[in-house]
Amino acid sequence: MLCDTCQDALEARLDGELPPEEAREIDRHLAACPACARQFATLGETRRLVSENAMRYTAPDVLKARVRSAVARIGSPPVAAGTGNRFRWWREVAAGLAIAIASSGITFAAANRSAARNSAADELLASHVRSLMPGHLTDVPSTEHHTIKPWFNGRVDLSPAVPNLDKAGFPLVGGRADYVLGRVVPVVVYGRRQHMINVYAWPSSAAGGAPPNDLSRNGYHFITWRSGGIEYWAVSDLNAPELHAFVAMFTAAR
Amino acid sequence: MSEGDLQRFERVVLPHLDDAYTLARYLLRDEHDAQDVVQEASLRALRYFDGYSGGDARAWLLAIVRNCSLTWRKRRRVDDRTIPFEDAAALPTNEGDAADAAAVQESEQARVQQAIASLPDEFREVIVLREVQDLSYREIADVVGVPIGTVMSRLARARKRLAVLLQIDAREAS
Repeated sequence: MLCDTCQDALEARLDGELPPEEAREIDRHLAACPACARQFATLGETRRLVSENAMRYTAPDVLKARVRSAVARIGSPPVAAGTGNRFRWWREVAAGLAIAIASSGITFAAANRSAARNSAADELLASHVRSLMPGHLTDVPSTEHHTIKPWFNGRVDLSPAVPNLDKAGFPLVGGRADYVLGRVVPVVVYGRRQHMINVYAWPSSAAGGAPPNDLSRNGYHFITWRSGGIEYWAVSDLNAPELHAFVAMFTAAR
Repeated sequence: MSEGDLQRFERVVLPHLDDAYTLARYLLRDEHDAQDVVQEASLRALRYFDGYSGGDARAWLLAIVRNCSLTWRKRRRVDDRTIPFEDAAALPTNEGDAADAAAVQESEQARVQQAIASLPDEFREVIVLREVQDLSYREIADVVGVPIGTVMSRLARARKRLAVLLQIDAREAS
């Protein structure tokens, strides 16, 4: 066999794409020809290095939720997807998560919860998950409550409490304006180890205060309370006792 | 679409979302764009599921992801020029990539990642389909929409470039 013929077939030999008899022919030539053998070794080493080291990515859960919900809604009229319409797609996330919850057979005590609280929790869960996507957590990243509180002026129509809980192990991460339940609301973000806590606030329909009340869904915990005419919701995947501790310190620090 | 078809789609196609996302990450080099494209591709796959003949569902989905990525690039007028190898290290990273980078650090993985990123698009896609997704020549030809001979020549040229970039020396290897 000529070296030219052999070299043309090296890739296919390496990739296992040659019929057995041709492969044997190439192997015989390689055993006898150091130049071709060296070229084959270079190819093989390149292939090994690349296939062993190239990144394999995992689709983020939020993407899977988006896709599954979009697929599940296929009965409805087709809509253009992927146009960057954030409003639409976090609704899809909500739908996807709702489906995930329903299909995983988790039953929660919906009967004794008000419908309003459930719909708030649905939207907040979607918003919380969305906020964890890269680049969505904060509009104003800051560990200073003196920076975050004024940032909300003119962006939202109320001034939420932004206590400094650094010493208690809940450092401020930042703030953002988000859109839930048909309005723009301030969100203050705290951290706890690798967990994020989103604290949402909006004007309460009821006057006065109300003690913390909690529910959990799909591994996320929600605690809501009322203070100074503002309804607060803390949402996190942090464990329930620590989230309660957080809320206790948040309310005490006012 | 009937309930049965929908269930079949979920069973046959959706398990390949990780691979779809991986391909989109390599083709678009941006995690947000990759997410949007995978969502778009999934919906398109659902719309054309009738046309899926029952072959390898993964290759079928990857073909759609590849086409959506190309459309996306054109629409977004993403700069298609190749990033020189020296500059690949200085690519703007977003949070996810920074985390990835922290994990791989100065390792072999980072070198390989940079080398792949520096390949021209038509070489990068065949390398990823072959070495990362492990597709056959026939499948790659179908995904890319070129003859098998073209796949082989692109693969050969891509590997030559990679061998140079990664400084693989056969005298040491053999």
